[in-house]
Amino acid sequence: MEVMPQYDLSRLPENTALKQQKLPAHQLDLSASVVLCIFFATGVFCLCMGVVLLLSAKSTKELEINYTNICANCAQLREDSSNFDKECTCSVPFYLLEKMEGNVYMYYKLYGFHQNLYRYVLSRSNSQLLGKDIWDVKDCSPFQMSHNNTPIIPCGAIANSIFNDTITLSYNLNSSIHIKVPMLKSGLAWLTDKYVKFQNPRTSDLASVFAGSAKPLHWTKPIYELDTDDPGNNGFVNEDFIVWMRTAAFPTFKKLYRRLKRVDYFAEGLPAGNYNFHISYNFPVTMFHGEKSVVLSTLTWIGGGGIFLGLTYTVTGALTLLASFAILTIHLMLKRTKKSFL
Amino acid sequence: MDAVHLGEDLEDKDTAFTWVVKANNRAYHKQFREKGFLCWRQRKYKGNAIHTAKYNFFSFLPLNLFEQFHRTSNQYFLLIIILQSIPEISTIPWFTLFAPLVCLLVIRATRDLVDDIGRHRSDKIVNNRPCQILRGKSFLWRKWKNLCVGDVVCLSKDSIVPADMLLLASTEPSSLCYVETADIDGETNLKFRQALVVTHHELTSPKKMASFQGTVTCEEPNSRMHHFVGTLEWNSRKYPLDIGNLLLRGCKIRNTDTCYGLVIYAGLDTKIMKNCGKIHLKRTKLDLLMNRLVILIFMSLVVASLVLTLGFALMVKDFQGKHHYLFALHTWTAAMESFLIFWGFLILLSVMVPMAMFIIAEFIYLGNSFFINWDINMYYEPLDMPAKARSTSLNDQLGQVQYIFSDKTGTLTQNIMTFKKCCINGCIYDSDDEHGILRKRNPYAWNQFADGKLLFYNKELEYLVRGQQDAMVQEFWRLLAICHTVMVQEKDHQLLYQAASPDEEALVTAARNFGYVFLSRTQDTITLVELGEERVYQVLAMMDFNSVRKRMSVLVRNPEGSICLYTKGADTVILERLQKKGAVEETTEEVLASFAEQTLRTLCLAYKEVEEEEYKQWEPKHLEATLLLQNRAQALHQVYNKMEQNLQLLGATAIEDKLQDGVPETIKCLKKGNIKMWVLTGDKPETAVNIGFACKLLSQNMLILEDKDINRLLENYCRNESEQQRAFKVMTHQNMALIINGEFLDQLLLSLRKEPRALVQNAVVDEVPQEVGLSRMDFLQARRISQMWRTIGSSLTQSPSVTSKIQESPEVQRERAFVELASRCQAVICCRVTPKQKALVVALVKKYQQVVTLAIGDGANDVNMIKTADIGVGLAGQEGMQAVQNSDYVLAQFCYLQRLLLVHGRWSYMRVCKFLRYFFYKTVASMMAQIWFSMFSGFTAQPLYEGWFLALFNLLYSTLPVLYMGLFEQDLTAEKSLKMPELYMAGQKDELFNYSVFLQAIFHGALTSFINFYVPVLLSSDISKFGASSDYQSLGVLVALSGLLSITLEVILIIKYWTLLCVVSILLSLGSYVIMTSLTQSLWLYKISPKTFPFLFADYNVITQPANLLVIVLNVAVNTLPVLALRMILRAVKQRPKKKGKEKEEAEEEPSEEAEVGTTAKVLRRGIPTRRSSYAFSHREGYADLITQGTILRRSPGDISGDTILESPNPSEEDLPSSRKESIFSPRKISILARMKRQHRGQGSQEEVGTDAGSQTGKKPAPQRRDAQKPPASDGSATSPAVTSLQASSSDDQAFHSAPSEYTLASQSERLDVRTASLRTLPWKDPASPRPSLLQVPAKKHSHSSS
Repeated sequence: MEVMPQYDLSRLPENTALKQQKLPAHQLDLSASVVLCIFFATGVFCLCMGVVLLLSAKSTKELEINYTNICANCAQLREDSSNFDKECTCSVPFYLLEKMEGNVYMYYKLYGFHQNLYRYVLSRSNSQLLGKDIWDVKDCSPFQMSHNNTPIIPCGAIANSIFNDTITLSYNLNSSIHIKVPMLKSGLAWLTDKYVKFQNPRTSDLASVFAGSAKPLHWTKPIYELDTDDPGNNGFVNEDFIVWMRTAAFPTFKKLYRRLKRVDYFAEGLPAGNYNFHISYNFPVTMFHGEKSVVLSTLTWIGGGGIFLGLTYTVTGALTLLASFAILTIHLMLKRTKKSFL
Repeated sequence: MDAVHLGEDLEDKDTAFTWVVKANNRAYHKQFREKGFLCWRQRKYKGNAIHTAKYNFFSFLPLNLFEQFHRTSNQYFLLIIILQSIPEISTIPWFTLFAPLVCLLVIRATRDLVDDIGRHRSDKIVNNRPCQILRGKSFLWRKWKNLCVGDVVCLSKDSIVPADMLLLASTEPSSLCYVETADIDGETNLKFRQALVVTHHELTSPKKMASFQGTVTCEEPNSRMHHFVGTLEWNSRKYPLDIGNLLLRGCKIRNTDTCYGLVIYAGLDTKIMKNCGKIHLKRTKLDLLMNRLVILIFMSLVVASLVLTLGFALMVKDFQGKHHYLFALHTWTAAMESFLIFWGFLILLSVMVPMAMFIIAEFIYLGNSFFINWDINMYYEPLDMPAKARSTSLNDQLGQVQYIFSDKTGTLTQNIMTFKKCCINGCIYDSDDEHGILRKRNPYAWNQFADGKLLFYNKELEYLVRGQQDAMVQEFWRLLAICHTVMVQEKDHQLLYQAASPDEEALVTAARNFGYVFLSRTQDTITLVELGEERVYQVLAMMDFNSVRKRMSVLVRNPEGSICLYTKGADTVILERLQKKGAVEETTEEVLASFAEQTLRTLCLAYKEVEEEEYKQWEPKHLEATLLLQNRAQALHQVYNKMEQNLQLLGATAIEDKLQDGVPETIKCLKKGNIKMWVLTGDKPETAVNIGFACKLLSQNMLILEDKDINRLLENYCRNESEQQRAFKVMTHQNMALIINGEFLDQLLLSLRKEPRALVQNAVVDEVPQEVGLSRMDFLQARRISQMWRTIGSSLTQSPSVTSKIQESPEVQRERAFVELASRCQAVICCRVTPKQKALVVALVKKYQQVVTLAIGDGANDVNMIKTADIGVGLAGQEGMQAVQNSDYVLAQFCYLQRLLLVHGRWSYMRVCKFLRYFFYKTVASMMAQIWFSMFSGFTAQPLYEGWFLALFNLLYSTLPVLYMGLFEQDLTAEKSLKMPELYMAGQKDELFNYSVFLQAIFHGALTSFINFYVPVLLSSDISKFGASSDYQSLGVLVALSGLLSITLEVILIIKYWTLLCVVSILLSLGSYVIMTSLTQSLWLYKISPKTFPFLFADYNVITQPANLLVIVLNVAVNTLPVLALRMILRAVKQRPKKKGKEKEEAEEEPSEEAEVGTTAKVLRRGIPTRRSSYAFSHREGYADLITQGTILRRSPGDISGDTILESPNPSEEDLPSSRKESIFSPRKISILARMKRQHRGQGSQEEVGTDAGSQTGKKPAPQRRDAQKPPASDGSATSPAVTSLQASSSDDQAFHSAPSEYTLASQSERLDVRTASLRTLPWKDPASPRPSLLQVPAKKHSHSSS
C-alpha cells in the first residue's frame, strides 16, 4: 500500500454499467394495480381449483374398516410374542352401500406405529437392497446378525418389522357364494423403487444366493420366498416389501396393499353388497396401543378421499378475493382523496 | 477501544529516568532484557525494524485458524462438528455442516493472507530504507533495520529520520537542524532543532564521533510527542536535554546539509510508533449484532432442544416397553437416551444457525468494497487516485455514521495559501482572472524573479506598480517584502522561501511577483530588488508576531537614510493604532469585512515614517528592554507598542486558505443527513473557527460556546445533574457550536487518559490570548449566552431537585456531561489537540454515545484517531501515506465523503440489513420445519430433509438471489440518495435491522415453515394417493420444495432493483436446485454410496404427482399473499402520515429559513470583528529571535553594533576546512549563511547581469519606456491623463482614489449598498463606537469620481 506503483495506465475505474452500479434496471414497484391483479388472479385460480377439487373429492369413495378390536382375540394372542408361530385368522364382514366404480385400491392403515424414528429409519442397508452387496449389513444395527452370527437378509429394523398380515377380500354374491375378489400385487410401489432402488442379485436361483444368511427375526419366511408364484415380485423386489421399506412420515400412515383386478364381476369396480375381509392376523399393534385398519378407496387424478385440499383451496381463494376487493375499495377511496396509495 | 490506550497509559506512568543510552556501545544495550510474554524475555532496547504484519510463513495457518476460531460462530460449528462425529448422537450426515465451515474458513483465510502479504511488503520497504550508520570509524550505508540504540547516524538533506535521535551536530551554524514534521503532526512548515553546544563543538569529525562516549539518561519510551526530558553525561559533566534536541522518527531533514544524531529510541519505542495505537480489529455494529443474534439463536436452540428432549423423555419409556419393533434400538436407560437425544437435537437444529450467512456476508462486504473502488465519481484525476476500501468489513457502518471527526489541514483545506485579493488605500484589487485563463501566458514575464505560480493578477495593479507613481502601492509591496521572517535560499538560480507559516510565504511570494523581491537577509539588513533596483534596508528592530501582539513590525532605515516602520497585523490591532480615521480607513474596514465574509484570511498593513529624533529617543529603551533579564517579553512588548502608534494604513491583504473542492457543499449535505461534524485540529482556535465559517460548519447565527462557558455548564451539570440534564434538553433547539482547546480536553479526559498532569505544561503561554478573545467577544454573542443562562436558570428553578440515581466518579460525570452537551451542538471544533487527544476525543464520544464514528484525516497526526474511530478514512494528500496506511478507506478528496457515506454507505447498510433480515427469515422458514417434524417423529431428532439439501440449501440453492440483493440492490438511485440526505438517518437509528426486525423475520419464518409443514401433514392424513402416500422422503421433498419456492418468492418481492442479473441469479439458484437434486438423487451416485444418497428419485416421484404440486402451489400462495397484503397496508399507513408531516415541515421550514437569513444579515456586521484577521491570530512566532540574535545569520560585514546574546563566531565554521579534508566524512557544504555571504558579495555582478536582462525587459531604462507603455495599458485613454494629473496635483488621501480604484468600487457598490441598507434597518446600534454613516462612503466616492 505504501508505495503506490507508478502505473503508466491511469487508475481510472472502468466506466461500465456493472462497476458503476448503473445496470439497466426495472424498479419493481408493487403498485396497487399490479398487486390487485395478482390478488384477483390468485383468488380466482384458487377458487376454481378448490371447486374442482371438492367436486372430484366428492366423486371418490372411501371405506375404512378398523379391525383391531374386531379381531380382539387374535390381537390378544399376538401380545405375547412367544405365540409368534401360532396362526390366527379372523374375518371381518362389511356391507358396501354403494358400488365403488373404477380402480379400487386396498390400503392397510396403521395408527401409532413409528416408522419415522431416527434410528429406525437408518437401520437398513441400501446397498444390500440394491443387490450390490447383499452381505453388507453394517448399517443395520442392531439387526445385523442373527443369533448364530449369520448376516440377516434383509437386515435392519425396518425390514424386521414388516407388516405381515395378509388380507384378502371376498364378495358375498349371496349367502352361499363367496367370490374371492381378484387383487393385483403389482403396481403398488414407485416404479423407481421397483426397478432401480430395489434389485435382486442377478441370478436365476435366489435361494442359493441367499444361502448362508438368516431371515429377519420376525419373519416367518426368508426373503426369497415372499412370492414364490411370481419371480418378478420375489426377493427384494417384492412390492409389499418395497412399500414397507419406504418409511412413512407420520406414526399414522396407510400403505397401498392391493389393487383391484378389474375382471368379471369387478370389471366396473366393486359392486355394492356384502363383503368379507379375511385377515391372517400376524402384526401386533395393541402392545403400543396402535390400531390397524384396512381401507378401500377409489382415486381420481388427484388422489382419493379427503376434501381437505379442495376446502383449503376454496377458502384461500375466497379470502384472497375478499382481500382484493378490500384493497380495491381502499385504493379507490384514497384515489378520490387524491392521495396516491402505494 | 479503551483497551487501546490502556497499555500505553500504563507505560506512561513510568516516568523514572531509567532509559540509559550509551553512545557507540551496542554491547551495553544488548545485555538488558525485560520480562516479556510468559518466560520469554525480550530485549529492552528494541531494534529499529518494525513489523506490522501479523503472520509469517509458518505461523499463518495455526495463527489464522486460531484467530478465526475466536469467532463464536466458528467455535460453535467446530463444536457441533466434533459432536457430530460421535455416532451415538450424530443426527445429520457429516457433510451437512462440514462443507460450509470449510468454505468459510478458506475464504476468510485467503483474504487475511492477501492482506498480510501487503503488510509484509510495506514493512520490507520501510525496514530496508538506507541510512548512514557510524561503524568503527566511518559512516557506512546500512538499512534502517540495522540501526540500534546508541548508534550515531549521519543524515543528509531530505532524508527521513529513521529513529528518535538526539541531535549531536549539524553543518548549519549554531547547530541548527531544520525539519519538516509533515508526517508526524501534519504541519508543513519548517521547524528547527538545535544540538547541544558542547556536542556541536566537539563532534566535528567521524573520528571524534566514534570516540564519543556520552551517556544519555532519559525517560522510558512514551507517546508524548512534544515532551522529552533527559540528560547527557559526557566527560563527567551533565547537560540537560529536551524535545528541542530530539529528531523524531518520520521527520524530514530540510535546509540542512548534514546532521548527526544519536539513536535514543528505535523501532517500536519511537514516539511516532508509540503514538500509533495498537492494531485492533474493527467490527461493525451489525457484525456485533449478528454475533449477538447468533448467540441468541443458539440459546433458543438449546431451549428448544431441551423442550424436545423432554418430549422424548416422555416417549422413550413407550419405545422401550411397548413398541416391540423398537426395543432393540433403545437399549440405554431412559435418562441416558434423553441425554443423548439432547445432543442429537443440538446437532440437528444447528442448521438453524445461519452459518452460510457469514460466508455470504463476506462476499457482500467484499463486493461493496469493490464498488467503492470502482466508483468513477470518486476518482480524482489530478492525483490519478480512485477511492479505495482497504478494509472490506466496514461497509455497512458507512451507512450509520453519526459523527465525523475531521482533521483540518489537508483534509478540509488544501493547505495551500493563495494570495487572493488586496486592498490598497481603499481600492480593492481582485484577481482579473478567476479561472486561470491568463495562466497560460505568464503575466509576470517582465519580472525575472517571478515564480510564475501566482494566481493573482490584476491589470490595473500591475500598471500601478510598474508605473511607480503611486507611493501607497509602492509602500504596500515594499512592506510585504520587508516585514516578515521568511528565510531565503537559492536553489538552481531560483529563490526558495522558507516561512514559518504558509501565509507569510504567500505574501512574500506575491510581493516577489509584483517586482518587490526579497532577495536576502542578514542579521540587520534586508536586501530587496525593487523593480530591478537593488536596495538594502538596514533593520533597526524586528518586532515579531506573537499571539498577544497579533502584529509584526519591522523598523528599517532605507537606503535614502530615512527610517520607516512597517507593520502588518490583525485589523483590530492595526486599526486602533492608526493616525487618523478617514474615508480610506472606513472603506478598508468595509473591505476587510467583506473579505472576512468571504472567509478570507485578512491582514492589515500599515506604515509610518519615523523621525530621526523619535527613533533616537526610542532606541535606548529598546536596547534596555532587550537586555532585561526578567520580564523581558513584557518590557519589549511595551516598547514595541510605543513605536507602533500613529500608523498610516496602507491596505489589507486577503489570503485564501484554500478549501478543498466542494467542502462546504459536502458538509451541508452531511449535516442534512444528521451527521455531526467535529473538526479536530492542531491549529489555533482562530484559524479553525475561520475555516469552520468558510466551510459552512459554523454560521453567524450560531451560539458559540468556548471553554469557560462549557466549564460553567459542566460544573452545574455535575452539581445537580437531573436539573441540568433537563436544562440540556432545553437547549436542544438552540443552534450551538463548541470551540474547545487542547488543554480543556486535557482536564476533561481524565478518566480516559491517566497521564501525570504535571507534565503537560504548555498552558501558560496561551492563557493570555484567550482572555483577550473573551473580552473581545461579540456583543450579540454575549447576549445570546446570557440568554442561554437565563433559560437554563429558569428551567432550574422550575424543576425541583431529584436525588441522583447513578453514583459515578466526578470525572466520568463530567465527561458524560460534556459529551451530552457536545452531542447537542451543531458543530464542535477542537483546537490545539495532539494526535493522542484526537483519538481520545473519538474514544470519549464512543464511550458515552452508542454511535458510529468516522475519522477522516490525511496526516500521521490523524493516525491514532483514524484507528480509534469505528471507521477511519485517509485522504491521499500531500502529507505522506501514514494516514492512508492505517485507514479503512482511502479517498482523494474530502468531498467524496459525501458519496461514500450517502450513496455507498447507505446502500451497503440497506443491502446488508435486507440481506440479514432475509437470511434469518429464510433459515427459519426452511429449517424450523425440523422442529415441527420432531413432534411427529417421536422426538428422536430425525432430520426432515435430505442431508444434501441441508448442506446445499444455504450454500447454493438460496444463495444467489441473496447475494444479488446484498451486492446490487438499490432502493434509490445514487442521484436520489445524494439529493435526499435525510434518508441517511434510517441507518443512524438502526431502523433497517434491529431486534424487532429480527424478531419479525423469525416470526415470519416460523409462520412460513409452519404452513409449509402442516398443510402436507393435514393432507397426508386426509388423502389417499396412488403409490406410497406421504412417506418420509416425499414429505421431506414436499416441505423442502415449498420452502424453497416460498423464500424465492419472498426475495422476488423484496428486491426492488430488477436487472437481468437478478433474473439470472434466481434462475440459477433454482436451476442449481434442479441440477444438484437430480445429481444427488441419481442412480449413479446412489450406486456409489447408497447410504450417502438415500433419496433416490424422490423429487421426481413427488413432482409427478399432481396432488403434491397442488400442495406446493397452495403453500406458496398462502405464504405470500397475506404478507403482500400486509406490506401494502403498512406502506399505505406509513406513507400517509409521513406525507402530511412532510407538508407541514415544508410549510414550517420555509419561514424559519427566511428568518435565519434575516438574522444572519443583521448579525453579520457585528459578527465579523471577532473572526477577521484570523491570520494574525493563527500566525505563530517567526524566526525573528533567531534573526536578530544572529543565531542563523551572519552579521553584515563591517557591522559591529547590535546586541549579541550568543557571542560566538560559529565554531563549526572554523572546523569546516579540517573536516572537509577527511574524505569519508561527507563534505559539509556551505551553509545557508555562507551562501548568503557569497550572494551578497556577488550582488554587484548580478546587477550587471540584471541590467543586461533589463535592456530586454525594460527595467533600468524605465522612465521613457514606462511612459510609452502607459497608453496601451489603460484602455480608456481619457481617464489615464486624469489619473496622472490627480496624482500629480494632490498629495491628499483622495489622490489615491484613482481610476482603477473607482472602477473596483463601482463594481462593488451595489453589494455595499445592499448591505448598508440592511444595516440601516438595524434597530440596534453600538453606542460605544459611533461610526460615521456607512452609506456615505461609497456614495462619496461616487461623487468624487464623477467630478
